[in-house]
Amino acid sequence: MNEDFTTKWISQLKKGTLSFLVLSILKDGKEYYGYDLINEIKKRTQIDIAEGTLYPLMNRLKKEELVASKWVEQESGIPRKYYTISTLGLHTVNEMKTYWDSLNTTINAI
Amino acid sequence: MKFKEIAFREPNSKRIYRDYIMRIQQAIKTLNAANQQEILLEINSHIYESLMSNPDSGKEEVAHLLDILEKLGQPEVFLKPLVAEKKLDEATRTFNPIQVIKALVLNIGNGISYIIFTVLYLLLFGFLFLIGAKLFDPENVGFFYRANDICILGYYRSYGVTHLEYEKLGNWFIPLMLVLTVLFYFMITLLLRLKRTLKS
Repeated sequence: MNEDFTTKWISQLKKGTLSFLVLSILKDGKEYYGYDLINEIKKRTQIDIAEGTLYPLMNRLKKEELVASKWVEQESGIPRKYYTISTLGLHTVNEMKTYWDSLNTTINAI
Repeated sequence: MKFKEIAFREPNSKRIYRDYIMRIQQAIKTLNAANQQEILLEINSHIYESLMSNPDSGKEEVAHLLDILEKLGQPEVFLKPLVAEKKLDEATRTFNPIQVIKALVLNIGNGISYIIFTVLYLLLFGFLFLIGAKLFDPENVGFFYRANDICILGYYRSYGVTHLEYEKLGNWFIPLMLVLTVLFYFMITLLLRLKRTLKS
């Protein structure tokens, strides 16, 4: 087995599906701040993501208007930035899910 | 909203934390103040929430902090795409040539289109360079043309002989280069802006 190839493939797959994962978690309508979102990803998927990579991704999702964000002051004096999914984000994640399911079916049939 | 330092019990934790914050500041210093603040606040919040989520993990504070920073990654690496993206937004909004150059340099690895934009920008500076060269060496710099033989925009002197007879622009050379510089500048910036709009 070419472990190097497999490792790279897994890493690319994780990277490629991170936006889908994030939008799927936000889909329920709950607000998450960055660290909270990372924990939720770990909890639901067992995927150990490089935590710093979440922030460039969130910026891109926000730029694409798939998520919205707001700063909320905390008693500690260190504010949290909360993210929520937008209507466009909801439509997008539903489309992604449909495609993912179809891809899954195709792969399983091979 | 202001940046507030996280308080630590151990002096070594404080030193490690401050060093990390300085590295973040260094990595994002090319951005405008608002964007710098936004990134710094968010990463600071991440560090704070990570520390608070498991304060009694049994580890020493320093070890706990090092774990958190290791999981976040090196700021120079993980912030790179974020800085490149934000810089491009800033640059296309301002029409400031220095900002556009910085943004192009940061995005040069993000696709062939940015390489083309950079080449166009180099061409633009070529026009400016030619203005200076024309002032310095007016006889050998210009637009030299002879049908089916010579077509040179720039410096032309062969075998030590000046060929002013083929120079077609004369006193119009400098104004034309200036017009081309301005035209190229607006064209590149508008195309960049259009690219950003189409992308989103």
